[in-house]
Amino acid sequence: MSWLKKQISKELWSPYAAGVLLGIVGILTVTLANKLLGASGGFENIAAYIGKAISPSNTYFNYIMPAGITYPVILLVGIFFGGMLGALSSGTFKFRTMDDEQWKTAYGNQKWKRWLLLFIGGIIVEFAAGIAGGCTSGLAISGGMLLAPAAFLFIAGMFASGIVTALIVYGKKY
Amino acid sequence: MTIGTYVLALILGVMFGFALNKAGLTRYTKIVNQFRLTDMAVLKFMMTALVVTMLGVYPLHEMGIITFPTIPATYVVGNLVGGLIFGVGMALAGFCPGTAVAGGGEGKWDYIVPGLLGFLTGAVIFGLSYDSFMPKILSIANFGNKTIPELWGVNAYLAIFVFTLLALALFYAIDRLGLQRKSK
Repeated sequence: MSWLKKQISKELWSPYAAGVLLGIVGILTVTLANKLLGASGGFENIAAYIGKAISPSNTYFNYIMPAGITYPVILLVGIFFGGMLGALSSGTFKFRTMDDEQWKTAYGNQKWKRWLLLFIGGIIVEFAAGIAGGCTSGLAISGGMLLAPAAFLFIAGMFASGIVTALIVYGKKY
Repeated sequence: MTIGTYVLALILGVMFGFALNKAGLTRYTKIVNQFRLTDMAVLKFMMTALVVTMLGVYPLHEMGIITFPTIPATYVVGNLVGGLIFGVGMALAGFCPGTAVAGGGEGKWDYIVPGLLGFLTGAVIFGLSYDSFMPKILSIANFGNKTIPELWGVNAYLAIFVFTLLALALFYAIDRLGLQRKSK
């Protein structure tokens, strides 16, 4: 039992072990809730409150992703506490900023720069997820497990441009 | 939604966030180093999850234990271009919506404040501009909410078998043959 406890409380698991856990969660989500895992959709349901205030007759926020405390929104709340539980289990939970050393090598030490880039990155990622019909979890994993072609197109695009972007950001240090 | 559904969504979300934390995907370094090909954890994590889920849901479906939820729609240009834009943001910031939320739960203010505000802003911009370009994108090469077996008559188990072999070959090449760049 103490062996198991030690394994679970490790800060990093083998990606294979963590992947098996994610796989089990994916199967349980379909089996118990008849839903898919996802993250970007929840943000759209929350954004709909703002979107409808700006444009009350907007198609997307009225008919496609309406405002509400929906299943994906609750899932997001769960993901937040899941990250917290993981960090607590390894004793790494701590309110902090600028905690990534490699980030500083890539972009420098300024906090405003990190916040600006994360804000812009967030916009790009969520906007792109809207176009694609989902993100890494809702489309790549959830669509992939059901063998939807969309998932594999998305994964191919994501890796191709991700590699090129990292190449540009890192330049000689790539 | 009933209370039961809320509780279930919360539990599934917690397990999902926990897995993201343990895989280390809540870190900028892990994500960007996948794109630098110096750390293959993201690929291993995703492909393992895909193999496990495929091997789970298809037999369960065949046995009549589950029905599939709505299959994510395939509209070639949107899925591909969306993926291309997504990769830019993911490599720049080192997160995607799920990993940023889980990272926020670990106490990272950088993810909680600018990250979440960015996602909300991106979602608002997408929703408000939806009418101006999405109907066009959705009209090109749209195969609907279908799976590869449904569309092209490929046997599902054959597809899963091929994908599993591909994943195992890739894992072998990474772990045993050193198919990975050295970090500088």
